[in-house]
Amino acid sequence: MLTCDQYHMPQTLKEALVLWNNAPDGSRLVAGATDILPWAREGRAGDVHLPAMIDVTKVAELNGYKVADGRVRLGANVVFQQFLEDDTLREHLPCMPYCSVWFADDQIRQQATLAGNIVNASPAADGTPPVLAMNGEIELARLEGESVAVRTLAVQDFVQGPGRTALQPGEIITAVTCDSMAGYGGSFEKVGQRRSLVISAVCATALVMTDPAGQRLEDIRLAIGGIGPVPLRLADIEDKLRSKTISRELITEVSMQPPALVASRTRREYRRWVVRGFVQAAIEDALADAGHPIAPALPKEAEHV
Amino acid sequence: MSDFKLDMEVNGRRVSKHTAGHLRLLDFIRDELDLTGTKEGCGAGECGTCSVFVDGKLVKSCLMPVAKANGAKIETIEGLAGTGVLTPVQRAFHKTGASQCGYCIPGMVMAATSALRENPGASAEELKERLGGNICRCTGYTKIFEAVEIARDVIAGRVGTQALEPEGAGDSYIGNNVRRLDAPSKVSGRLRYAGDMTMPHMLHMQVLRSPHAHARIVSIDTSEAEAMPGVECVITADDVPGEDGFGVFVHDQPIMARGSVRYVGEGIAAVAAENVETARRALSKIHVAYEELPAIFDPEEAMQPGAPVIHEYASDNIVKHIPIRKGDVKKGFAEADLIVEETYQTQQVEHAYLEPEAGIAYVDHDDVVTVISPSQNITHHRHMLAKIIDKPINKVRFIMSPVGGGFGGKEDMIYQGMLALAAMKTHRPVRLVYTREESIISTAKRHPARITYKMGLKNDGKITAIQFHMVSDGGAYGMSTEGVMRKAAILSCGPYDVANVQIDTIGVYTNNTPSGAFRTFGAMQAQFATESHLDICAERLGLDPFEIRRINMMRDGAFTHTKQKLGSVSLDEVLTAAETSSGWEAGAPDMRGPARKDLGGPGTREPCSLGARFEASSGKSKRQVA
Ligand code: FES
Ligand code: FES
Repeated sequence: MLTCDQYHMPQTLKEALVLWNNAPDGSRLVAGATDILPWAREGRAGDVHLPAMIDVTKVAELNGYKVADGRVRLGANVVFQQFLEDDTLREHLPCMPYCSVWFADDQIRQQATLAGNIVNASPAADGTPPVLAMNGEIELARLEGESVAVRTLAVQDFVQGPGRTALQPGEIITAVTCDSMAGYGGSFEKVGQRRSLVISAVCATALVMTDPAGQRLEDIRLAIGGIGPVPLRLADIEDKLRSKTISRELITEVSMQPPALVASRTRREYRRWVVRGFVQAAIEDALADAGHPIAPALPKEAEHV
Repeated sequence: MSDFKLDMEVNGRRVSKHTAGHLRLLDFIRDELDLTGTKEGCGAGECGTCSVFVDGKLVKSCLMPVAKANGAKIETIEGLAGTGVLTPVQRAFHKTGASQCGYCIPGMVMAATSALRENPGASAEELKERLGGNICRCTGYTKIFEAVEIARDVIAGRVGTQALEPEGAGDSYIGNNVRRLDAPSKVSGRLRYAGDMTMPHMLHMQVLRSPHAHARIVSIDTSEAEAMPGVECVITADDVPGEDGFGVFVHDQPIMARGSVRYVGEGIAAVAAENVETARRALSKIHVAYEELPAIFDPEEAMQPGAPVIHEYASDNIVKHIPIRKGDVKKGFAEADLIVEETYQTQQVEHAYLEPEAGIAYVDHDDVVTVISPSQNITHHRHMLAKIIDKPINKVRFIMSPVGGGFGGKEDMIYQGMLALAAMKTHRPVRLVYTREESIISTAKRHPARITYKMGLKNDGKITAIQFHMVSDGGAYGMSTEGVMRKAAILSCGPYDVANVQIDTIGVYTNNTPSGAFRTFGAMQAQFATESHLDICAERLGLDPFEIRRINMMRDGAFTHTKQKLGSVSLDEVLTAAETSSGWEAGAPDMRGPARKDLGGPGTREPCSLGARFEASSGKSKRQVA
């Protein structure tokens, strides 16, 4: 059970920063709150009493998104369901609808934010690999005297380990920015213990841009989560594929590589097996999404024998 | 606690209240507004029994601090239709029989309503996907999806409203679609389960549970908890006035731990207080001193000489051993051309009914101790409780509240006694509602079993002898173990006619969570072993799995190994139906080529994937992830 002495709902960023700076030790900043409520239960944190909870979902500056100069700026209050339903976001972030559809369920996605998912820094966070693949950056605001100062960090510098980020005391995430990937095909792969509502064991994302004929890869972005302390961008595989002619052989060959990266302490063998198929599936699904599916090789059953 | 001024509109009416801001929207709706159609199945966002609309978007109200809903328009199940009217979605649920226990149904109706509001033309696959956050443990979903599709077509005007009308039952109810009488109360959220009931001046109970699997209780000090403002009473085993002990067969379980604890999660003391928060805080003020004892978690080890003894009356740790002998197995094995021996193991399973345990007890004006709970066995509970609280039977009353899923898991009287004691001590109504975690940690599970199976067969597939040895983990208390062992023994060899059998089923005490009744009551474990074993034997003999079953099946007039005469046996028809509808490719299990021809045909399910809504909007088909 979660209880607190104060529940604040600031309306402006300034107000939120002042509250957050003055909040007693042990207070929590919340957005969707979809993680903190299940966390404060038996078997996890148990009953938790917090001095203050500062809820940023009514902070006007954190709402909405903007597309400009080849980048998309997602306010920290953007929720996962928007990636499924907003046409502009679907166009510019083509892997995000797939990521979102695998994230929790339609109801939790109405509340859960991408920024909140990243700041929790779970090794298997669904939202982080796509942001990583899209050269994502995290925008952080803090008070400097009377004014609001902002700094920006690449997502790989922001997420430092399980539950660890570069967030400093008094700082609030205001936005996540990424490349606009309009024209790319996107995909997201995930395995967990059931279809809805689970955190990933392993997840992967791909974004591909082909030439008009769909013969050649102009650009590719790949990232993977759940295989070590932090999600990884697969830059060397991207290099091996960029500007290459698309073939199943090539994709299969490069997909042999990621299992070696698996550093998780649990279920390592399982993750290795999954990862190989995943990278391949992510690339193939992204090609299909781009409108250039590669022909299936062998019937599935035969592959399993 | 945080004070928050709330203004919202709930089901079209303005609500203005002061409340704690951290309270979940779910608590506010249920406790402050008494709209109990919204349920709490898990409190962790997993089940969807708590789904409500907030500003037109469906959310899980157990994941939303109420402050977030300030200024919003809330719509709950009670607000979907006017009084006495049902929406097309609700009527369709009624029509198809989509509500069984009904506990998931308000949430399901809300999710279906949301799906059809978001996309009135959603395909069947998309509807399934959009309902993905809601769990049902009763229906298997088929009737629910059927209902949502009917509602979709009626709302879109593709079919007339007569699609929602009941079908005529003809001159027989059998084989006809008959509507359930209790469905309207379930689809409208009006039905109150025990946890939805309140009584004036009611207290709230919370239970202190054992962190140890096996320990002696040296002392329990409840004084600090009792002194807390708002705490009305703390009860322990010392408050039991009569003969303490319950169980379905052997009465080996005290209302609360008496002298020792035998599994993690066993109740030790219970607090009744003005509210749940106070009761929970009081639990942390109860001081229990334990002396840990060696614990045992494997039933085979528990049967070894010298193993720690869990109940004094059973020094061998055996709850029940059921032996059955028929014919001469030695002779049977001697006649066999092939003898196959394998070991099979099944695991502990949680019932996971959507309604966690709950109950209210009170003492009425005639001093009748009354317990309302979703008990699956009220008459037995009434008799046991009368002994435990030392009252004549006419001073004990059990009222069965609607059962939000039981599956056998609500056959045991695990908490009703505590409620009765607290009501007797305080003379106030007392309510206890389990959390999902509490339900999982402390209530009975399906018996895990280890089965050693030895079968002798002739080359033509005829079984000459079976030796069946099952050791089952009964956990810390007897509960239904004896009955489960009996049923497993009776059904051990399946529907097959075998001349020589030797059967032993043994239920054993361990310090695991007690095992109890669970759908099939022991048959599933035995069937898993028998049917798996037959497939293995078929492969060894080069026989088709259907064939080996036909060779051995019981026919009309057969006698079971417990000497029951079977008037009619429909196994042949069942086998034929399974063979035909699965498109079975005849032959021994290992005789197929690289590609099986009986996979992926009509009536088989595609591997699961998500993204049906993209296919509708883009026309692209996503590759299936195998
Ligand atoms: S999802 Fe809210 S109670 Fe289960
Ligand atoms: S009817 Fe769905 S859980 Fe019982």
